[in-house]
Amino acid sequence: MTDRDRELEAMLARMSRAKVSRRGFLAGTGLAGLSAFIAACSGTSATASPTSATPSQAPAASAAAPSGEASAAASVRPSAQAVTETEGTLLMYNWADYVDPNNIEKFKTDFKVDTFTYDVYDSNEELLTKLQGGATGQWDIGAPTAEFVEAMVEGSFIEKLDWSKLPNAAYIDPQFQNFYKGDKADLNNYHLPKDWGTTGIALRTKDVQEDVKTWKDFFDVAPKYSGRIVVVNSPGDVFVAPLKALGYSLNSTDPGELGKARELLMGLAPHVLALDSNTYQDKLADEEAVMGLVWTGGIDDLRSKPETADTKYVIPEDGTLYWMDTWVIFKDPPHPNSAYAFLNFIQTPDIQAQETVTNRYATANLEAAKLVPQDLLNNPTIFVPADVLASGKLEGAQDVSTDPLRVQIWEEFSSSIGKK
Amino acid sequence: MTAQSAAAPGAAAPKPPAQPGRWKGRALTGALMLPATLWYVVLLVAPILIVLVFSFGKRSRTGGYTPGFSFDNYASALNTADPFLTSLFLSVVGTALCLLIGLPLAYFIATRATKRKALLIVLLVIPFWTSFLIRTYAWLLILGPDGVAGFIGDLTGNATFRILGTEPGVLLGLVYGYLPLMIFPLYVTLERMDRTLVEASKDLGASRWATFRQITLPITLPGLITGSILVFIPMMGEYVIPQLLGYGQVYTIGNLLYSRFLEARNWPSGSALGVGLILIMLVVVTVYVWFTNRGRTVRDVSVV
Repeated sequence: MTDRDRELEAMLARMSRAKVSRRGFLAGTGLAGLSAFIAACSGTSATASPTSATPSQAPAASAAAPSGEASAAASVRPSAQAVTETEGTLLMYNWADYVDPNNIEKFKTDFKVDTFTYDVYDSNEELLTKLQGGATGQWDIGAPTAEFVEAMVEGSFIEKLDWSKLPNAAYIDPQFQNFYKGDKADLNNYHLPKDWGTTGIALRTKDVQEDVKTWKDFFDVAPKYSGRIVVVNSPGDVFVAPLKALGYSLNSTDPGELGKARELLMGLAPHVLALDSNTYQDKLADEEAVMGLVWTGGIDDLRSKPETADTKYVIPEDGTLYWMDTWVIFKDPPHPNSAYAFLNFIQTPDIQAQETVTNRYATANLEAAKLVPQDLLNNPTIFVPADVLASGKLEGAQDVSTDPLRVQIWEEFSSSIGKK
Repeated sequence: MTAQSAAAPGAAAPKPPAQPGRWKGRALTGALMLPATLWYVVLLVAPILIVLVFSFGKRSRTGGYTPGFSFDNYASALNTADPFLTSLFLSVVGTALCLLIGLPLAYFIATRATKRKALLIVLLVIPFWTSFLIRTYAWLLILGPDGVAGFIGDLTGNATFRILGTEPGVLLGLVYGYLPLMIFPLYVTLERMDRTLVEASKDLGASRWATFRQITLPITLPGLITGSILVFIPMMGEYVIPQLLGYGQVYTIGNLLYSRFLEARNWPSGSALGVGLILIMLVVVTVYVWFTNRGRTVRDVSVV
C-alpha cells in the first residue's frame, strides 16, 4: 500500500467518524456504504472507531452500577431509582460510531438485553424530517444536538424525562443540563446531556507568526494569509466569529448586529480558500490552509504527528460556541424501561468516562470527568480549561440558522468565497 | 397498387373476434408494465408534484412546509441568477468536452479496436466498481498541492498555482465523472452503423470530412442526443463535485439548493428553485434536441 492509499484511507476513515461527518454535507450521500467499502478494501471493520482507546487508558472499569450507587453522588435526586428490569430490546437512533461498542456489550449483558439496534442518521435535519414524517414509535432513544430539542418538543416527538428513573442524572453539570434558559427552561426536562465541544481557530504556528487569540485577531490577520484560510461549511458556526468579535450574542437575529457581522464576513470571504466541513484537516496538514475556523475533529491527529505538531487549536477569548448532543427518549417508545435503563447506565461515571476516552468528546458528567485521563482533560480540542468554562464565554447555539436575514447573509458570503 | 394494398396486412380489415389468447396477452403486457409504471408514478411523478405544491407554500416555524399559495418563493428565486448561470456554464462546457473526448473514443472502439473491443469496454466500466464519492475524493489528492498542482507550480515557479478551487478543476471532475455516460450511447449507435455507407461515400468521391459530416454524424445523432442529455442533466444539478473539487469557491445551483433545504430548512423556497432548475433543463434540452434534429429532417426529406 502506498502513502497515497494510506492517505486516502485515513481521509475516509475520518469522514466516517462521528463529529466531522455528522456535521458535514455528507448527510445523505451514503457514508455507511462508503465505510462498508473501506472495510471490504482494508479487511478491517470500519465501524471500529479509529481512535478506540487502548484498554490501559481506560479508567479501572469496575462493574457498572446500574442502580446508580457509584461513589460520591454529589446531589443524588432523592427517591430516584434506576430501572433494572428491561424489555430485552433497545432501539437506538444515533450519530455513527457514537457509543463505545464495549459499553453496548456491557449494557446488553448487565440488563439482559438481547436485541440492541443502532440505526444511524447523518444530520439533525434527517432525524427531524423522519420524525415529522411520522416515525415516532420506531425507536426508543436518540441523541440530537441540543438546539433541536425545542423543535422536537414542539412537534411532540420526544417524551418528558422521568427523573425519578435516572439517579445518575445528578452527576450532570447543571450548566449543560440547563441548556435552555428563561421561559424555555422546561425544555431541559426533555434531554440528558451526552457530549459537547467547541468551535474555534486552528493555526499552523510555523506559518502564522501572530498570536491569534480572539475572533477579532482572526479577522485582523486574515488578509495577510489570504487564500490560505479554511472555514467549515456551516452557517451556525461561521456566524460565531463576527458576532463574537463584535461582542454580540452568537445567536443574535438583530438586524443591526447582523448587518455589522455581514461586513466582517464579506471582508473575510475573498481571503477564504475553501468552505469545507470534511477535509479541512487535510488542508491544514499540507499547509494549503494555515488558519481555520474549524471544529475540533481531526485537529488532535494533526497535533500528534511530528510534521504537523505545530498545529494549535485556540478557543477564542472573546467567546465562542459550544455544541452539545443530548440524549432524548422518543415519543411512545416501544421499550421505555430499556430506554431509561440505558440512559442511566451510560451516565454511570466509569462507563461515561470510557465513552469520553473512546469518542474523544468532552462529557457533561462531572463525576465521569474525574475518571478521565489527565492528558484528555488538558487537551483543548476535547475539554475546555476550567477558567474559560467558568468565565461564561461559551454560549450554546439556539436554532436560529433559519432566520431569513441570516440565510441571506450566509448565501451572500458562501457565494463570494475566494472572489476578489 | 391494388395488388399491393391487397397484400398489405389489413389495417382496415375487420377486427378478428376477441380471443382468450389476446386478452391474456394484454394482461401479460399490463402485468409487465406495472412495475415500471409504479416506479415512475411513485418515484418521479409524485415527487415532482410534491415539489410543485411545496413551491407555492410557506415555511413553517421550525422548518418544513406549511400549506399556502403565493408566488413569493418564485420571486425570490428570480434574484438568484448567478448560481444558475454558473451551473449552466459548467454543464454546457462539460457536455461539450465530454462530446469532444467521447466521440473519437467511441468511434475508435466501435470501428477500429476489433480485437481489443471487449477489453476497452471493460476498462470504461471499471471505474464504476468504485464509489463515486471515493473517486472524487481521490482527485483531491491527485490535483492537490502535493499532486499535480504542486508539480506544475514547481515547474513554473508559481508557488500559488492551484487546480482545486477553480472552475477548470470542477470541470475536470465533471467530465471525469460523466464521460462514460456519453461514450456508451455513442458507441452503441456507431457499432450498429452500416459501414458500407461510409465506403459508398468514399467510392463516390466524398472527402473524409464530408463523409463524417454527412454520413457518420447523422447516424450517430440519436446516441449523441441521448449521451448529451445523460451528461448535461446531472451536471446541471451536481453538488458533490463543485463542493469538493471547487472548495465552495464555485457556487452552483446545487450549493444553493443544499443551503435552502438543509441549512435554512426552507423547503418551499428550495422547491421553487428546484422547479426553476427543472424548467431550465427542459428548455435547454428541448432547444438542443430541436436544433440537432433540424438538419436531419431536412436531409431525410431531400433523400426522398
